[in-house]
Amino acid sequence: MRALGPGSVSSFLKIILDVIYVGLWIFVSLLSLFTLVALLFSFNPELLAQMLPISDAVEAVSRDGPLFAGALAAWALLLGGWMVIVERLRRIFATLTAGDPFHPDNVLRLRVVGLILASLEVGRYVFSGLARWLAPKTKVIDDSFTLTAWFSVLVVFVLAEVFREGARLRREAELTI
Amino acid sequence: MPVRVNLDRVLLDRRMSLTELSDRVGVTIANLSILKTGKARAVRFSTLDALCRELDCQPGDLLTFESGPPDSDD
Repeated sequence: MRALGPGSVSSFLKIILDVIYVGLWIFVSLLSLFTLVALLFSFNPELLAQMLPISDAVEAVSRDGPLFAGALAAWALLLGGWMVIVERLRRIFATLTAGDPFHPDNVLRLRVVGLILASLEVGRYVFSGLARWLAPKTKVIDDSFTLTAWFSVLVVFVLAEVFREGARLRREAELTI
Repeated sequence: MPVRVNLDRVLLDRRMSLTELSDRVGVTIANLSILKTGKARAVRFSTLDALCRELDCQPGDLLTFESGPPDSDD
């Protein structure tokens, strides 16, 4: 199978990354919008009562609204983190398709990906702890420790070091006369 | 780097320009400039062979070793 060009694995991966990126854009935009709406209604339940004449719904929103808005904001942050990761991967792919995968900028891009993955995992623990404290009866997010996530972070940092060495070798090749 | 390139001195002795040398050895002026200014990390034997042939010199005329601390890598 070809490494680059139409019909290659990289072109297939590029399509997947583009689709995920657009999907994440839409999801993050919608979640941000819903968060704003939830915040608006939770701080002003009368507005909802005017629009939706169901007393149970109004009561539920005034009670759980802030928590719901917080959960939506957390999901928006999580998806935003994924979006940044996908965006960095797309830039790395752009250097690959340009025939220069060991570009020095890719080292920083991979480190950013690793840092975001680690931050998202830590953020998940923090948010699940907050959710357990604020709403002990409802399970908003899974708070279990996943070794796979930390293993992924390790893999990305190892790859970043491999790319750093690749960039150094590329520089040496450039300066070989 | 403690290895110094004396290409400019050899060129001056031969009264040859960098452009003329570039045409003769088939190495771009940009790469010869990198070599001349001591920024090169490595020289291929084929390049050294072509330079010595065209400049009618020995590798030792082009390269000299000076003791001192090595330059740091980027």
